Amino acid sequence: MSWAQASLLARGLCRGWGGICGAALTGAPFSQVPPQAPRGLHCSTAAHHSDSSLVPRPPEPPRRPAKALALHEELFRQAPDGARDKASFVQAVQKFGQHNVHRRGHVDFIYLALRKMREYGVERDLAVYNLLLDVFPKEVFRPRSVLHSIFIHYPRQQECGIAVLEQMENHGVMPNKETEFLLLQIFGRKSYPMLKFLRMKLWFSRFKNINPFPVPRDLPQDPVELARLGLRHMEPDLSARVTIYQMPSSKDSTGAADPAEPHIVGIQSPDQQAALARHNPARPIFVEGPFSLWLRDKCVYYHILRADLLPPEEREVEEIPEEWNLYYPMQLDLDYGRSSWDDYEFDIDEVEEGPVFAICMAGAHDQATLAKWIQGLQETNPALAEIPVVFRLAGSTGELLAPSSGLEEPSPPPPEGQEDEEDSQQQRQQQGCFQDKGVEGEVPAWSPRSAGSPGSFFPAL
Amino acid sequence: MTSTSSRCRRAEGSRLECVDGQEPGASPVVQRLSLQIPLRQPRVRQFGSRKEVFPFPEVGQEELNEINQFVAPVEKFFTEEVDSQKIDREGKIPHETLEKLKSLGLFGMQVPEEYGGLGLSNTMYARLGEIISLDASIAVTLAAHQAIGLKGIILAGSEAQKAKYLPKLASGEHIAAFCLTEPASGSDAASIQTRATLSEDKKHYVLNGSKVWITNGARANIFTVFAKTSIVDSDNSVKDKITAFIVERDFGGVTNGKPEDKLGIRGSDTCEVHFENTRVPVENVLGEVGGGFKVAMNILNSGRFSMGSAVAGMLKKLIEMTTEYACMRKQFNRSLSEFGLIQEKFALMAQKAYVMESMAYLTAGMLDQPGFPDCSIEAAMVKVFSSEGAWQCVSEALQVFGGSGYVKDCPLERILRDARILLIFEGTNEILRMYIALTGLQHAGRILTARINELKRGNVTTIMETVGQRLRDSLGRTVDLGLTGKLGAVHPTVADSANKLEENVYYFGRTVETLLLRFGKTIVEEQMVLKRVANILINLYGMTAVLSRASRSIRVGLRNHDHEVLLANMFCTEAYYQNLFSLSQLDKYAPENLDEQIKKVSQQILEKRAYICAHPLDRTS
Repeated sequence: MSWAQASLLARGLCRGWGGICGAALTGAPFSQVPPQAPRGLHCSTAAHHSDSSLVPRPPEPPRRPAKALALHEELFRQAPDGARDKASFVQAVQKFGQHNVHRRGHVDFIYLALRKMREYGVERDLAVYNLLLDVFPKEVFRPRSVLHSIFIHYPRQQECGIAVLEQMENHGVMPNKETEFLLLQIFGRKSYPMLKFLRMKLWFSRFKNINPFPVPRDLPQDPVELARLGLRHMEPDLSARVTIYQMPSSKDSTGAADPAEPHIVGIQSPDQQAALARHNPARPIFVEGPFSLWLRDKCVYYHILRADLLPPEEREVEEIPEEWNLYYPMQLDLDYGRSSWDDYEFDIDEVEEGPVFAICMAGAHDQATLAKWIQGLQETNPALAEIPVVFRLAGSTGELLAPSSGLEEPSPPPPEGQEDEEDSQQQRQQQGCFQDKGVEGEVPAWSPRSAGSPGSFFPAL
Repeated sequence: MTSTSSRCRRAEGSRLECVDGQEPGASPVVQRLSLQIPLRQPRVRQFGSRKEVFPFPEVGQEELNEINQFVAPVEKFFTEEVDSQKIDREGKIPHETLEKLKSLGLFGMQVPEEYGGLGLSNTMYARLGEIISLDASIAVTLAAHQAIGLKGIILAGSEAQKAKYLPKLASGEHIAAFCLTEPASGSDAASIQTRATLSEDKKHYVLNGSKVWITNGARANIFTVFAKTSIVDSDNSVKDKITAFIVERDFGGVTNGKPEDKLGIRGSDTCEVHFENTRVPVENVLGEVGGGFKVAMNILNSGRFSMGSAVAGMLKKLIEMTTEYACMRKQFNRSLSEFGLIQEKFALMAQKAYVMESMAYLTAGMLDQPGFPDCSIEAAMVKVFSSEGAWQCVSEALQVFGGSGYVKDCPLERILRDARILLIFEGTNEILRMYIALTGLQHAGRILTARINELKRGNVTTIMETVGQRLRDSLGRTVDLGLTGKLGAVHPTVADSANKLEENVYYFGRTVETLLLRFGKTIVEEQMVLKRVANILINLYGMTAVLSRASRSIRVGLRNHDHEVLLANMFCTEAYYQNLFSLSQLDKYAPENLDEQIKKVSQQILEKRAYICAHPLDRTS
């Protein structure tokens, strides 16, 4: 019986098949991998319960010395004026290094620091992550033999290293050469943090520019600027003009503007203007909304001015004027068109929609505010004066509807929504871990045979 | 499609006649091409055109003497008295130069003699154009005056109008301008904004509007103006239609803007012209009320052929200047002329000049045949070919001069700037390519309709015929349309080239058929396809012209006809391979056909209105 089978058997005995399946489904990287024995070797207490998640929650074993953690908390509280910025964070990390020459409890400290990063606003700072990694003692955790690297060497420390990288990933921080160097020093080339690093290098570069409609990382705080950005984001026509119909009366950046004078920003393209001028005044047009638009973690609401689709019998057939082009015939006098075997188009059912004439974002979603927008539009669209405008507000927004109209940015989810953030992080983690699982799941099965070529652990290499 | 075409036999001499009798008098090769690729408009045939492509049109000895008599003093004047450098620098043609031009009669070259003009034939006009083009500003001024400005009166004017205006225009006392383009309307006639409204007493039209880029706008006394008028249709509906007017500056309300500061042809006078409540008497309506569109089209179509000879004249001069420099300038103890890459440029210039000259005089000769044949496609082809040749050759000539060609002291710089306008005015080359291709296809379509309908309906016999034909083609068939051989239209020295022409014509015909079958009338939207069709047509016409001219030169025994044979063969071979390439591109699934990619790239760029590739130095990390 091969060694691999033996280990499988051992695992089965140890954890039971249910445990394996559960672990496989939740996709935790390490939990199902290591047989109990190697863990025991390092006296790690962390991994027992962390089937579903590694970060940012530190694994809190029941026998955790609460004192140590409190001590670390103390480090972060020591900032002189209570300022929470990069400098004080860096200071806290450095202090840990000074106080603790042997780096005792560094794993706990790193987990704590990771959780504190958002507070200090350094969650997107590569230098800080590198600093955190630097907390690990060097050379200690490097595997010294093939066996070391097969049976995860210092798993708790490796998990912690991965947690750092994971948080970088969640915030879109691309590791650099220094990160690589640190990881090499700490964990060696054939370690899981290094594998994670390589995968980040690979996929980050692939996904970084995948969004064809990028939203700037730092959104403007000014609601008018934000509205301008959102409108530009929605409007495909680059020659469209943004008009500010009304500036907010009070310059309160928190958005608690005077409800009487909320901002009104609109956008309209020349084509839309022309379409509105052609619109039959007998048919009403509608102001509809609010609809929601997410820009990163902000939700803004917009309204559209639209008309119903003309019934087929009223549509004008676009006819080619007889005397149009002075130079060449605009149509051929032939009685056959493009043949069916030369039809490149897929058979797509297209739903025709009525024209949209303009979009606006306003600080308030009531009729009075929107009426001001329509008034403003009339200056550039004289035809609008004759067309009846029907306000069809709310209703269409569903659960995203503003709780009370008149409120600035009615119901954006709490920006500091930790739960949201964590949920999404967990999701991403699970996705991320899914990749890991593929490899690790196989480790016990064929690692003995491939022991001669350890490179095969790391497909990304 | 070939069934009608190959049944031609040779008649006496080099004339070709068709046996099927459908095409009385339709003997020349373009006509024969037109059986293959039915090209000519039916109107042409109505007149029973005696358009002769083979042999090359000749002028009689007397006419030739007459031309030479005209040419000599004009040439002397242009080489000795016209200072193009100064005209370009100062941005205007000196008064005395204009006076001299008037006294030479150059303002009325094509005005009939009874109205005081020179009454030159098209061929003679083309010949004089060669000389006049030595100064681009003067050439453009004269062309704006008579090729478009007063052409309307000659083509569509009543006797009274002709008698009233032409004598003064011919003498140069009055200068004419052509006012069609508007800020919002280039080739789009429907967007013309200038309006003419009939006054209460129905004796005047009141004209209001602005026209832009009017050559001679500041100098002219007589304007041909196109404006919208309300016309009551036969069914009592009121429609806006274009009407042409003869407007005198003295009618009042005519003002012009300041002269445009242009890249080239700086001596010509170009400006905006505004009409404000200008009262135009009803008798000054040119042609019919509401018939202005046709008038404009006819004027534009008639003026183009002369560009070929004009550019050829300019190129001849250019070759003289450039050869002189290339033989004088020494590098590495050798003169420039000994280097292959320099020699190549001269061959190119000579070839282009030869081809456009042949095309221009062939077209002029056809136009001079009785019965007002419509040669507007040919004229457009000449214009496209010659303007592009001009730009290419001038650029190459400047390259020979190197750095010294790039400075203002060298005339090359000015010629290059002047040549650029040729691709733009008189209909941009893009638009003319559409015209060439669509007019050709329209005609082909009419003839092919029945056949294509049968194919589409799935008529077994037609399909079998087509398949059989394709099969035979694929087994390698030699195309012989009867151009060559004993007593053929083409001299045996250029027989190879003639065979190439025949082969191109044959396969082009087939491709056209496929295209029409594929696209039908929606081919109007396929501009990239149309461009290739136009390019092939231009090449075919060029080949025909040089073959005809070279054959004549050999037979008549003109000086240096062996040189002509070289040029003709060179051009035909080049054009043949270009055509083959274009034809393969017209295949739907050809690997050479990049249309899809081209469209995609341009769409992506236009969507963002920028070059969207990341910078080569950008990183993702």
